[in-house]
Amino acid sequence: MSIEKGTLQIRNLSKSFTVDGNALQVLNNINLTFPAGSFISIVGSSGCGKTTLLRILLGLETNYEGDALLDGERIEGPGTNRGIVFQDHRLLPWLTVGENVAFGLDKQNRKAKKKIVDEHLKLVGLSGFESAYPAQLSGGMAQRVAIARALANKPEILLLDEPLGALDALTRMHMQKELERLWLLEKITMVMVTHDVDEAIYLSDIVVIMSSRPGIIKQIIKVPFPRPRDRASSEFSHIKAEILKEFHLGTEYPFAYAI
Amino acid sequence: MIKNSLKKLELKDKLLALIVPLLLLAAWQSAVSLELCSPLLLIPPLTLLDTLLYLADSGELTINIIASLNRVLVGFLIGGLSGFLLGLFMGLSPFLDRFAGPLIKASKQVPQFALMPLIILWFGVDELAKYVFIAIGAFYPMVFNTYQGVSTVSKRYRELARVFDYRGARFLTKVILPSAMPSIITGVRHSLGLSWMFVVGAEIFGADTGLGYMMAAARNMFQIDIVMAGLVVIGAIGFSINFILQVIEKRLLVWRFSSDQGASK
Amino acid sequence: MKRTEKIKIKLIGIALPILLLILWQYVVSAGFVSHHILPLPGQVLTTLVRLFTEEKLILHIAISLRRVIYGLLIGTASGFLFGLLMGLSRTAEKIFAPTFHTVRQVPLIGWIPLIVMWFGMNELPRILIVAIGAFYPTTLNTFSGVRDVPRRYKELAAVYGYKGFKLIRRVILPSAFPSIITGFTLSLGMSWVLLIAAELLIETIAGIGKLIDVGRDTFNMELVVAGILISGLLGFTMTKIVEKLVQAVQKGRVFEQEL
Repeated sequence: MSIEKGTLQIRNLSKSFTVDGNALQVLNNINLTFPAGSFISIVGSSGCGKTTLLRILLGLETNYEGDALLDGERIEGPGTNRGIVFQDHRLLPWLTVGENVAFGLDKQNRKAKKKIVDEHLKLVGLSGFESAYPAQLSGGMAQRVAIARALANKPEILLLDEPLGALDALTRMHMQKELERLWLLEKITMVMVTHDVDEAIYLSDIVVIMSSRPGIIKQIIKVPFPRPRDRASSEFSHIKAEILKEFHLGTEYPFAYAI
Repeated sequence: MIKNSLKKLELKDKLLALIVPLLLLAAWQSAVSLELCSPLLLIPPLTLLDTLLYLADSGELTINIIASLNRVLVGFLIGGLSGFLLGLFMGLSPFLDRFAGPLIKASKQVPQFALMPLIILWFGVDELAKYVFIAIGAFYPMVFNTYQGVSTVSKRYRELARVFDYRGARFLTKVILPSAMPSIITGVRHSLGLSWMFVVGAEIFGADTGLGYMMAAARNMFQIDIVMAGLVVIGAIGFSINFILQVIEKRLLVWRFSSDQGASK
Repeated sequence: MKRTEKIKIKLIGIALPILLLILWQYVVSAGFVSHHILPLPGQVLTTLVRLFTEEKLILHIAISLRRVIYGLLIGTASGFLFGLLMGLSRTAEKIFAPTFHTVRQVPLIGWIPLIVMWFGMNELPRILIVAIGAFYPTTLNTFSGVRDVPRRYKELAAVYGYKGFKLIRRVILPSAFPSIITGFTLSLGMSWVLLIAAELLIETIAGIGKLIDVGRDTFNMELVVAGILISGLLGFTMTKIVEKLVQAVQKGRVFEQEL
């Protein structure tokens, strides 16, 4: 049986770091399967290892136990079949917007490159900005460019590490809509790490809740509502309450501190 | 209207900037006119201008300027380039940093003019000795600033390069060098500034051409006019070098100087 | 970091000097280079020991130090006041800064012939050259430190009615302090370089620069190399003393990192 492109399987995955000679377990026996084309959020308080998990999927952390499989193959390093959007937009300030979007497109001719850049800037609504420098953009615009850069390589999955965490609340809600639009358009797997429960419910098919020290999976919640979702609906609040309940039980601090 | 008042403001700034030079000039002229000091020690401003024109006309100035600039160019290229390469490799390789870094830092403690007698004993009094001396002056700012720029390239950018599989020359030219460029340019500026100072020092110490030589010879013959003219010329050249570098810097670092005008659109 | 790791780093650092020392000894004793051109390390050491047991060296050092200290005091004190003035008043900046930045382009050594003609061949021109060298870095760094005091501190001071001398002493100077110290350290380095230059270029009877020059005149290579080492050692000692002083002053004061 062949595996559909964009399928992620995580089996018995554990990861520990050595700090001052002591082993610190960050992830403990993680098992997850993400069907191709789904939108997954990983929520949890600081230090639960969700970013480490994302970095393993990205290939920046290679020394881990168990398996993280993309399309059935073990992830051993970075590759262009996975795109990433970091919390900081991480655009190179010395490259123009266009050059930043083209950053991952090396083995192609100038014309083909330009076409891809134009397409993707249009996709994120920034046509005409290709010769601007990152310093000239607002936070929301910079993050759109970062998303365009990640999508320009046509990845099978897009990893999002708190992609909207640095934006103000209104820009953030707007960008959530944008992400949903892009996901529906591109039909690829997206895995997002976030602190924001509303954001997770609004965007995801599956919400994975993690708890800390060592990071384990506490609960996997499916969000079956049709899109676009209404943040004010009763079903939305119902699921939110269900997720928040998990946090109250898991941490010794009130939830407010864990945001 | 706003543009107009801005222009007025700029004009006012320019006038303010002229106060000190004009006062100095007035003090200078009156000191000469009132014979407050010996004409052997201070010539009138206009005589200085005459001297400059005379030196330029006789060709003496051109010969000396070319001699000095030639030494600076060769010395700076040798010292600056080797400083750049060493700084780059030290920034890229922690081992090389630990291996060569301490010695370079320790040797920096020697005031470089102390090396001049040794360099003359080793390389004689001709051009080679001057090149070596200037190269040593140019070396240190370049090695330290390049190292600083390369070793502090943000981990965030290094990670990004890994994700997009940037390696070798591509990693160097697209990520490391642009990121280190502001620091490298600072190095070039300091390096050239010191080269210019060292050439004058080397020429005062012993040479038969160059602006430093011209001033030292004039001092020995008590020709204050030529000493002052020399000072003006080396200052003007120093100013020009700095100006050219600023233009180049603005060109190379356009991404740094661009403001956030785009965001307000 | 672990202790063994630190020791290892130190060992790597002294490997190169030791290798060079061995190479030096080898090329001279094997006859590749005459010891008249390059004295043996042992010869230099003997000369150093002999110098340090003679009163004359102390005299040379004392005279050089006196010149540096006077020049440094004059240069940094006037540089501090001038930089403060330009940093505090925009008008003063507009009046003085253009002339200052223009005159600054004259390479410092270039002043030597003029100053010697004006003040003769005595101590004054040497001290003046050192003072000019010390003047620029302190002026520049005091100026930028004072001008760039963060606006939020100035606003806070205004809210609490700080004015005049109190404002300068309690807000401006503490905020500009790190920058002023940087300027002073740079001044120290520059003044030591210029002192040696002045002692070589302006006839004198004593001083470390003179000691080296005597070595050159008499073709006494050991003396030249020993003199260079002493000048480096003195420069190093002075830098260390200033570093310790700065640490003592800064002790207990943690400065906020400006972004």
